[in-house]
Amino acid sequence: MLLAKLALGLGGTMVLAGAYTFHEGIMRVDEKHADGRRVQVWIPAAVVPVAMHFVPKRHLEDAAEQAGPWLPTLRALTKELEKYPEAELVEVRQSDQHVSIRTHDGKLLIDVSAPGDEVHVACPLAMLEHVSRELQANAPSL
Amino acid sequence: MIDRTRRLSALASLVAATLALTPIAGFAQNSSGKTPETSASTAQSAPSSAKQDRWLHVRVENLDSKDETVRVNVPLELAEKLLPTINRDRLQSGKVKVDELDCHGVDLHALLDAVRTSKDGEFVTVQSKDADVRVAKQNNYFLVHVVEKNHSARRSHVEVKIPMKVVDALFSAGKDELDLVAGLHALSAQGDTELVSVKDEENTVRVWLDSKNASD
Repeated sequence: MLLAKLALGLGGTMVLAGAYTFHEGIMRVDEKHADGRRVQVWIPAAVVPVAMHFVPKRHLEDAAEQAGPWLPTLRALTKELEKYPEAELVEVRQSDQHVSIRTHDGKLLIDVSAPGDEVHVACPLAMLEHVSRELQANAPSL
Repeated sequence: MIDRTRRLSALASLVAATLALTPIAGFAQNSSGKTPETSASTAQSAPSSAKQDRWLHVRVENLDSKDETVRVNVPLELAEKLLPTINRDRLQSGKVKVDELDCHGVDLHALLDAVRTSKDGEFVTVQSKDADVRVAKQNNYFLVHVVEKNHSARRSHVEVKIPMKVVDALFSAGKDELDLVAGLHALSAQGDTELVSVKDEENTVRVWLDSKNASD
């Protein structure tokens, strides 16, 4: 009986923690190369802002300094894009090459395909906004 | 023993409930899948989304190969917010410096002022064996129409139709600057309109404004 209750409590916690972890969506990067290599990265968006707090401050400052001139643009872009959750922004098609940048379901989707190579990135806009805000907060000159 | 078991069970349930409720609280706050700040910004943007969004579309198509296309769809409001954040080369705070542009000694401001204050009509009409050119002002639009007469079957056509209010806004910054943000703002007040249309032997280029979030 005790074990059952513990299992129920633990199971419920796991489910709710899982739901919380994934409720902001997943940042997904999928690369397929001509030589057959494939790189897939799946990161729950809710984890990224938390993980940023564990990054050493000097690394964050370095990143913020490098991205410095473009941080206000990135910040404005992510903030504004949230107003357009479903939009085709850019599409370039040339014979067997294709580039597409769009927003769908609150995510920024970037798809690039060329003969043999494919890159697909899906990134929740809320996460991008959070990351740009954190970087801007760590950029001393801004 | 039974007492200890019950106490332990109650404690375990309490811990489990606390752990479980912590994410619930967070989840409830973010039930829309957005951070509180995001929700606030969405709430702030509600009035702006209530009014119709204006989209600037650019489409380039290759006439011979339908596989070659470029489509760009930009919300004017987004462009208005982004441009002032970019400070690179000639583009500073949403204004682009044009002092180094070769205008062949023509005072653009004086020219535009003359166009603005004049009545509707044709200002330039050139008809030659190479090209026909027409520059006019009509119904508060500044019009440029060029037909290049080459010997191939397809002639090159260029049509530019810019609302005068947009032209005014563009040149409102000063003598050597074009105020792009002011131009975009003025453009957002316009109805659906085709701004630029270019057709040559290989490509067609269209730039137009409407309230659709994707080009047709």
